[in-house]
Amino acid sequence: MRSFRLTVMLMPAGLALLTAASALAQSAPHALPTAPKNWVQAKTPWGDPDIQGTWTSDDCIGAPMNRPANFGDRGYLTEQELSERMKRLEQQHEGDLKDTVDANQRVGTGPPGNWGERARRPCKQTSLVVDPPNGRTPELLPEAKTRPVPEGAGNNNPKADSWEDFSWYIRCISRGVTGSILPVIYGNGQQIIQAPGYVTILQEMVHEARVIPLDGRPHESSEVRSYMGDARGHWEGNTLVVETTNFLGGRTGIGLNGGGTPTSEALKLVERFTRTSPDEMKYEVTVDDPKTYTRPFKIAFPLTQETGYQNFEYACHEGNYAMFDSLSGARAKEKAAAAKAAAQSK
Amino acid sequence: MSFLRRSVMTLSATAVFLLIAGLFIAESGFSQTPSRTATRTTAPIPRMPDGKPNFTGLWQALGTADWDIKPHYAHASPFFQLGAEGAEPAGEGIVDGDVIPYTPEAAAKAKENLANRMKLDPELKCYMPGIPRANYLPFPFQIVQGNKDIAFAYEYATSNRAVNMAKFREGQVDTWMGTSNGHWEGATLVIDVSSLNGSSWYDRVGDFQTENTHVIERFTLPDADHINYEATIDDKTIYTRPWKISTVFYRRKEKKAQLNEFKCVEFVEELIYGDLRKKK
Amino acid sequence: MKKALLVLATAGLALLAVAPARAHHAFAAEFDADKPVKLKGTVTKMEWINPHAWIHIDVKAEDGTVTNWMIEAAAPNSLLRRGWNKNSLPAGTEILIEGFQAKDQSNRANGSVITFTDGKKLFVGNAAGDPGAAPGAPKQ
Repeated sequence: MRSFRLTVMLMPAGLALLTAASALAQSAPHALPTAPKNWVQAKTPWGDPDIQGTWTSDDCIGAPMNRPANFGDRGYLTEQELSERMKRLEQQHEGDLKDTVDANQRVGTGPPGNWGERARRPCKQTSLVVDPPNGRTPELLPEAKTRPVPEGAGNNNPKADSWEDFSWYIRCISRGVTGSILPVIYGNGQQIIQAPGYVTILQEMVHEARVIPLDGRPHESSEVRSYMGDARGHWEGNTLVVETTNFLGGRTGIGLNGGGTPTSEALKLVERFTRTSPDEMKYEVTVDDPKTYTRPFKIAFPLTQETGYQNFEYACHEGNYAMFDSLSGARAKEKAAAAKAAAQSK
Repeated sequence: MSFLRRSVMTLSATAVFLLIAGLFIAESGFSQTPSRTATRTTAPIPRMPDGKPNFTGLWQALGTADWDIKPHYAHASPFFQLGAEGAEPAGEGIVDGDVIPYTPEAAAKAKENLANRMKLDPELKCYMPGIPRANYLPFPFQIVQGNKDIAFAYEYATSNRAVNMAKFREGQVDTWMGTSNGHWEGATLVIDVSSLNGSSWYDRVGDFQTENTHVIERFTLPDADHINYEATIDDKTIYTRPWKISTVFYRRKEKKAQLNEFKCVEFVEELIYGDLRKKK
Repeated sequence: MKKALLVLATAGLALLAVAPARAHHAFAAEFDADKPVKLKGTVTKMEWINPHAWIHIDVKAEDGTVTNWMIEAAAPNSLLRRGWNKNSLPAGTEILIEGFQAKDQSNRANGSVITFTDGKKLFVGNAAGDPGAAPGAPKQ
């Protein structure tokens, strides 16, 4: 039975609800439930603001990190642009539900298109970077411009001398702090679990567990460094503020999946999590790396809770046939090229 | 006063003195026998507002269960270059009754695993250790227990799990860390672990799981700084009956103790992919 | 005015573009864009693993010889969230694969397009009997 849905009528106040046939379905795009009037942030039994649950950044899948120049300082889409984006999401959903292949379907070296995850409603932002006002990451410092950026996923013929040529994500090591929460095309689960004195965020890719103590203890010695840094949290009203330092330098960058110019040991992140309704949380992170960027900047996007959404294990390293095959493929190509050259020189 | 009378009086006084002194000593806890007032010298069990024991904290196992969960004596390392650092220490094991009740075929497989352990032990390759092994690796783990799901964050390989404390939920697919569903039985936290993918071992000597392995863990706090841990393991395809392991986790008390990062993938890439590296 | 609208429209399109290829795990490095493959095989097992699921198939040649192929698909997490599970692609199911062969010429290929023999795409929609449900997929 095909799921059926109501036609969307966009209204100035918001988007109409669509019915989904099954709670677990990759449902048609739909608005979040309206927050009850006079919604008040609930507290845990020990008195901390309760932000528990499994959240996702799915809504801003596809939003660019850097704002296209023509938007200038405009951080949000107009109603017109939002409705166009909604139409596009619905078309995408229709396409996903098409059960047969188009006659002119392009076959590529990537995975089946209908296996990805989708935003459930249009991302309201013109970019993920929200400060500086032009929505673009600041200039890199000269010393940072020469830092090598390892191979990501898109290159058909990457340098593949060893695993070290590939990104930390492709190696299944880490995506770094921002890379573990920025919206990508699947695996955006963020499960928040609280206890007296702690907030923990279990992040789906690559099975990270950020354990954030709230007791005001100082950071670890600067000799102790890690991919995910050393986090310390405290509440400012209903906002969880997390300061993270003690990063390893020259590893992940700030971008999607930890891509981009590797940041330095001097990196400091300050994140703010504020729940604004039962289903929505504002997330923002200030990136301050005085050895990489010419100035600090801010990234922000919403997190939402969705019916039936849960984290699934993303074991990664254990099933990384792709690494074997990438290296073995490169060696085979070299061998073939060498054999050809040897034959030609005869 | 006559000598006899004085002696009796002295003896009585001494007796009374000793009696009083004895009572005093017993009350002050200097006694060698377990005292009813033991809690006076240890911290009270931390509790949630609803009275449930609170397991939140940094914990670690001692002993050598990760080497071999059965009783074992000290052995040299397969790599002599590691000298004493790579050698296996002795241990009493954590298996109740000392013996894992393998079927004959499974016992043969365990033996084969042992012979090939330097190729097969998932711990060598930084694979997630599964349950129960994650708990007694020589690395700490953090429990975060609030009023909803409970998080276990293991330092080794950044393994972790969320224990679902709401309605029982079946795993949809087999995973390395399994699917954990928890509930309370009085002051005992009971965790049902199923949908394990069968790729994990219990130790470094080849005691193994299958995708049919089912583990039921029981956590209790006898006092603030110890967890008594028991796990009942069942798998009809390799065991002749269910069996149990039991051990203790110790609260990490050092002032600066915290969960650190052991992202070991980087340490095993040469081991796993080394022969695919481009030759110079 | 028209120019402004055109600029806006293009900007809008840029915003609505599909996520950049960099936003997923490696694929292109493994497969040879000069070696397209079209396979018909019987599923022997599906590995619901990360970073990518792998479908194992037996491919029977004209002369009856059987070769095993491994087909790389995407992360199963999004499928799991749509209600598919480890029982959704039972062994014995016949599927058609279009993709490219591994660079090292092993019997591996990516599944760019994966369908059943009736032309329906694998894992379209969800497990609740939507088009593309595998035979034997659990009903919601």
